[in-house]
Amino acid sequence: MKSFHPDRRKFLKLSSAVMGSGLILGMNWGCSAEDQNPGSSSANSFSPNAWLVIDDKGSVTIFVAESEMGQGPYTLMPMLLAEELEVEWKDIVVKHASLDPAYGYQATGGSASIRKGWSTLREAGAIAREILLQAGAASMQAATAECKAEQGKIIHIASGRKIPYRELVNAAAKLPIPEKARLKELHEFVIIGQSIPRTDIPEKINGKARFGMDIKLPDMLYATITHCPVFGGSIQHVDASRTKKIKGVIDVFEIDEGIVVVASDTWTAFKGKDALEITWNPGKNATLSSSQIADRLKNLPPEQGEITWQEGDSGAILSSGKTIVQADYIQPLQAHIPLETMNCTAHFRDDGKLQIWVPTQSPSKAYETAKLTSQSIIKRGLNKLFGSDDDIEIQTTLLGGGFGRRLKQDFVSQAVQIAQRFKQPVQLVWTREEDVQHDFYHPLTVHKMRGALDKNGLPTAWELLVSGSKISASGISPPPYAIPNTRVMIKNVGEAIPRGPWRSVFAHYNAFAMEHFLDEMAHAGKQDPLDLRIRLLEKHPRLQKALQAAATSAGWPGKAGSSYLGIAAFSSFGSHVAEVVELRRSEKQGLAVHKVTCAIDCGVVINPDIVKQQMEGSIIYALTAALKSKITVRNGQVEQSNFHNYPILKIDETPEMEVIILSNEEEPGGIGEPGVPPLAPALANAVLAATGKPVRELPVNLSAIKL
Amino acid sequence: MQIRINGSSITVDAPEDMPLLWVLRDLLNLTGTKYGCGMGACGSCTVLLDGEPVRSCITVLADVQDKEILTIEGLSKDNSHPVQQSWLELQVPQCGYCQSGQILSAVALLNETSDPDDEEINAAMSDVLCRCGTYPRIRKAIKHAAKTLRKGEET
Repeated sequence: MKSFHPDRRKFLKLSSAVMGSGLILGMNWGCSAEDQNPGSSSANSFSPNAWLVIDDKGSVTIFVAESEMGQGPYTLMPMLLAEELEVEWKDIVVKHASLDPAYGYQATGGSASIRKGWSTLREAGAIAREILLQAGAASMQAATAECKAEQGKIIHIASGRKIPYRELVNAAAKLPIPEKARLKELHEFVIIGQSIPRTDIPEKINGKARFGMDIKLPDMLYATITHCPVFGGSIQHVDASRTKKIKGVIDVFEIDEGIVVVASDTWTAFKGKDALEITWNPGKNATLSSSQIADRLKNLPPEQGEITWQEGDSGAILSSGKTIVQADYIQPLQAHIPLETMNCTAHFRDDGKLQIWVPTQSPSKAYETAKLTSQSIIKRGLNKLFGSDDDIEIQTTLLGGGFGRRLKQDFVSQAVQIAQRFKQPVQLVWTREEDVQHDFYHPLTVHKMRGALDKNGLPTAWELLVSGSKISASGISPPPYAIPNTRVMIKNVGEAIPRGPWRSVFAHYNAFAMEHFLDEMAHAGKQDPLDLRIRLLEKHPRLQKALQAAATSAGWPGKAGSSYLGIAAFSSFGSHVAEVVELRRSEKQGLAVHKVTCAIDCGVVINPDIVKQQMEGSIIYALTAALKSKITVRNGQVEQSNFHNYPILKIDETPEMEVIILSNEEEPGGIGEPGVPPLAPALANAVLAATGKPVRELPVNLSAIKL
Repeated sequence: MQIRINGSSITVDAPEDMPLLWVLRDLLNLTGTKYGCGMGACGSCTVLLDGEPVRSCITVLADVQDKEILTIEGLSKDNSHPVQQSWLELQVPQCGYCQSGQILSAVALLNETSDPDDEEINAAMSDVLCRCGTYPRIRKAIKHAAKTLRKGEET
């Protein structure tokens, strides 16, 4: 065991009056802001945002402040706390923490939950255990050193006498937070490291799980919205006469973002939306197109880039006329399309309170959005029902997928604007078409790459310029490879298409360019892509090991003529992942992805099966992106609208998968996103191995490739 | 209008052209059936109609009269259906939103085919989309459930 001194500002023991009798411990840990960069962090605040309650009946309730969108926080976070608390897993009840703005910033993103909770949650468990130990020892008139905590009991070691926690909670609640507590060594873990079944799954297989759209309230009305199809456009004229004739339509009106139809049920609201006759004023983006944006980025002179990192003198090497490799890579706009479309339910109650139920990645941002919107409503004199703008309650439901989309809170603002007109609660539900066409997209990016090789075919210099919308200097880390002359540049080109974080954010598009270009250089220099990586990664042993593990398991370099392997590796969000894509050719399908082998080093593994789940999911998410996803904009509007023209991977297109988890004793890394970045370059590298031709633009249509 | 859902007869006051999805969700509070696309393209709204999987978002009320509708809520009272048990055992769901459609499609497949091979699983399941990427586990869970069901028949 190792000792630590609890930060008393960080941990807060509350009086049992707050939540009934028992021992209640509040704690705080920071959460990342909306556009996370790999490795970034934000300041902690000191207000509690998650809770442990042990009651005198023996139940241990752990409140989780992270949003559950498939990544398992309702299991992982309690595992950290329970490990130190010394309770049996079966006695734990998991509940979602409600938001109180005084409790600090709640946001789930950037694969940050475990990294933020790793110390704090274990410390919280250890503090509670220590207090119970003190209470138990006092009750048995023994010294704490003569007692131990085990399976929800304090045991007097010599006599074997036991007192269950439930009998100690009221005495424990009167004790102060201890000066010192102990944390277990890694080898002492009994819960951490186990594939404990997820606590959220039983309700997800019988229809009981409550997502945002499943909120049902007495007298609730249903609303839907039509946004101007052209980004930044406005409404010129609306003829709602056809809509208003539909039985069940209650109201039609404009809000800031578009036209809203309110009805007795969702279907009637959707029908009402379809019946609207609207003339839009497209505004200044009437001729905006994604192909023009791509052309503009392709034609950017490299000297316009802002240098964010450099070593050596790549310019001198690249102008000296040695073997030069050059490539421009284009990656498209992409939508998130979680299966549950955007929605939010809001109710301005008679007592002036605003209640909101919302599937959001950031309850804190939802609160801020609701507050700003309601303040604006008050200023414009529109409020008929609202009490005080501070009287807002946010309840986070389960999320039917997030992937970064639900870090934005546009739907919350809309629901508040709509609900302020009614006495009843109103549920706003977007159609899939609005969801696809009014997303905050993965940006369109162009990478300009140049590299030089020495006479042995080894890279001596490379330059990378990434351009696109909202390209952030902090989003691109220096390439890990020991290439003596390296320069990284960015060029941020503003455009009117809304952009937002998309699963793995900057890592996704930068990994593709860096890792595919490394293979282009290996190909030009006649080097084995795996050997070259291993040689250039001496300072990155964890990435090296991941590469070796994935390659060995995938049978690198494969059998010539029947299968084609591509490998890529990338470190992001505190974890190190290598993936091998195996392409095979069949008479029926042509070239297809046969298997993906993934090796992840995420440090200490909290729950191996959840790591495996996240890798499987990341591979499929990234395959969808690399093989299918491309949002195009023409005349200022998105051309795709639903799954028929913006498809995602299906079960029959899903390759075989193998996930290798490299366990070690390093600090835990993230798992929600790091599996995404290596996939697209591994796929492109397999295409290069198969055809000798690189992939310069995503998505790649494998069936069009002739061997 | 009278319809039969999960073994009970229910009176619904709704127009004949109202999609079953919204009857279930908004009128009957059976929210386990999900909206994902509204055009029969994603399968999240799948229910069984006389044992056959249908997309409830494009199946109107008039089409379900005199038929037995099974939604996820009616599969078992306690997660005891072999497909649910298999889903638990293999820890299939992530966000969970599409899983009612996945599970009911799997139930329909296994009612027809006691030992489905990969091609049969593809044929039955490929139009039920999952954005989290639970497909590898769905495939395994169907095979696992098939085994359990076959054992049950033998005994």
